[in-house]
Amino acid sequence: MAAGEPVQTAPRRTGEPMWLTKPDLSLMKTSHVMKLDLLPRAVLAAALTCATPTWAQQPAPGAPDNAPFDAEQLFASTCGWCHSDGGRAAGKGPQLMGTSKSDDFIRERIKNGKPGAMPAFDGALSDAQIDAIIKYIRSLKPQQG
Amino acid sequence: MKKQPSYLAVSVAISAAVAIGATLAASPAFAQSVDTARIEAGGQNDWLTYHGSYKSYHYSPLAQINTGNVANLSVAWIHIPGRSTRGLQSMPLVADGVLYYTGSYSRVFALNGATGEVIWSYFPELDEGLIARQTHSPYNRGVAIGDGKVYVGTMDGRLIALDMKTGKVAWDTKLIDSQKLTVGFTGAPLFAKGTVVIGAQGGEWPGRGPIFGVDAATGKKKWEFLTVAGTDDAMKTWGSDSWRTGGGGGWMPGTYDTDTNTVLWGTANPAPLYDWSGADFKTQGARPGDNLYTSSVIALDVDTGKLKSFHQELPHDAWDFDSAVGEFLMLDRDGQKLVVHPNKSGYIFVYDRNLAVKNVWRITQNSNFVKNIDPKTGELIGRRDFAAGKVEEPLCPHISGGVSWNSGSYNPKTGLYYKLGQEWCMTLDVMKTTPIVAPQAQLNIGANFKIAPPPGGEIYGHLDARDPVTGAKKWEVRFPEPPLASVLSTGGNLVFVPDSRGTVHAYDADSGTELWNHSDGTGHQGGIISYSAGGKQYVAVVAGFGGMASDDYAPTFGGVYKSMPRDDGALIVYSLK
Repeated sequence: MAAGEPVQTAPRRTGEPMWLTKPDLSLMKTSHVMKLDLLPRAVLAAALTCATPTWAQQPAPGAPDNAPFDAEQLFASTCGWCHSDGGRAAGKGPQLMGTSKSDDFIRERIKNGKPGAMPAFDGALSDAQIDAIIKYIRSLKPQQG
Repeated sequence: MKKQPSYLAVSVAISAAVAIGATLAASPAFAQSVDTARIEAGGQNDWLTYHGSYKSYHYSPLAQINTGNVANLSVAWIHIPGRSTRGLQSMPLVADGVLYYTGSYSRVFALNGATGEVIWSYFPELDEGLIARQTHSPYNRGVAIGDGKVYVGTMDGRLIALDMKTGKVAWDTKLIDSQKLTVGFTGAPLFAKGTVVIGAQGGEWPGRGPIFGVDAATGKKKWEFLTVAGTDDAMKTWGSDSWRTGGGGGWMPGTYDTDTNTVLWGTANPAPLYDWSGADFKTQGARPGDNLYTSSVIALDVDTGKLKSFHQELPHDAWDFDSAVGEFLMLDRDGQKLVVHPNKSGYIFVYDRNLAVKNVWRITQNSNFVKNIDPKTGELIGRRDFAAGKVEEPLCPHISGGVSWNSGSYNPKTGLYYKLGQEWCMTLDVMKTTPIVAPQAQLNIGANFKIAPPPGGEIYGHLDARDPVTGAKKWEVRFPEPPLASVLSTGGNLVFVPDSRGTVHAYDADSGTELWNHSDGTGHQGGIISYSAGGKQYVAVVAGFGGMASDDYAPTFGGVYKSMPRDDGALIVYSLK
């Protein structure tokens, strides 16, 4: 349905595709490729008619699995507000540096979240990105100086 | 105010009608409709809009409870909404003895204001899969009322209208594709002149931060204002096409200026929150330029949504200090009509009604993101723009702000503005992040950081009694942890402050002497109001901790915060015995 029209039916529920409506291309006045592998094929096909600007040739945070990828950047963008000091200190979320939780636990927690405490990032982060974050967490050391 | 206060005669009649209704039947009489004129008149028994009235004073003229008898204030009734994930953050409204408030997940309740009996409740069916992915969720800041309906926003991007008497859905309009953009509505809407205005979240996400005007009768969208590059002029202030993922939004309600048919609204910060541009933010970094209309106060025509005037409180906001917070105090001073608005940084801006800067003063004591803001022009002096890497001197105030998104109170009898200030700072490590090129379900913060005490001291909060225009301080009360809730002042010469440990305090409005306190059992981070029902005055406050700022309290302060729930809350209502 178009935004702005009153509706009578219940809203979309879990499990339905993220991009149910046509992507709002008015958000992009000039044409750019959306280098996001998380998008369904139909949407990617629509976007591929566009040109690539030079500055967008860096891989975006939603980059394909085999592209170079910066976990430190992703952490600062998405995780740092709650996991203080890059994950080294307890804040809104627990300290991640030196955690005793297993890789499986961390993966599950990132994907499914914890109601009222942490959002679910399944769909926002690819498996490769989550693996990179786990590697990043395991590598955390106290700040120098 | 230009009109005779004829509401006094009306409110006496309503009180009588409500008193009779209460004895004969369970629910009070719905004496008359709430419309723009009635909200403007600001009925003394009611609280008809989020900020108390369009003047935004968070003030009740009621004086039945006063400095002489407040020691006898005790609990009249309590309501527990249930499922209070992230606590309770809403501002209750009251019309004709019926109290309307929301809990998390946009649960709406209509309660008998004298007894707490539930008249009706409405729980919208929400996209819970989406909500599980949201960070600033599922709390709700309250409803608007007008023209026979109650209006509430949802975290999945809808605005819903309910019949005021029955709670039945009148219309349900989807305004945002929240699945795509992650953001929805947490703020209360504003009802004015047949239009319901509500602003989306935005600052932390790649979007364009819309504010909507919706027809109150039909639910059809009338207009949409994009806070990110919403005009051609504004587009020029976003280099590298960064307008496409700019952030913005207007996630708390503003007010309505009836003289000029204008909606005043505050807008949120741009994304990423922390830029790596260094001093040359006009041409370097993630979003080169001033980034209009983020971190601004804007004046929109209520009928068309067209921009009439604006002031950008923080050009190229590099610190997440939104203007989307707090109140718009509409004052007259020496024959001049003024608007006083707090910015999240703790700088308080004084404007004329066309949003020209008249004065700027600061409530925070520890502040170094700029050296100062020019009180004549609003120009930022000595701003700290960061390059990528560790920031040497901690940034003050902390990302939770020099002031909360909750409101202060202006008392027209004392002439004083009662406002909470927050003293905390942060270490900061800025990342040069890749531009997020398209809207997606992901935050865009741009730095790692950690809360830190102010230089040479401890974190603390303070309630100030100030002249709203000059900032001259009359008195101050300090708290060991910053209170985060809204403040209420009354015609009974009282100032009510719900603190973070869970205690509500009442102070003498002239002197700041504490006259009463009571524990609500859990921390406060929402609204407090006063109203009259059946000829009796009540003070209603929501308790329930667990929002974005409150979540830092347990690791930072320990103590009672370690055992405080983050998923519980109650509405507690006080009256004299």
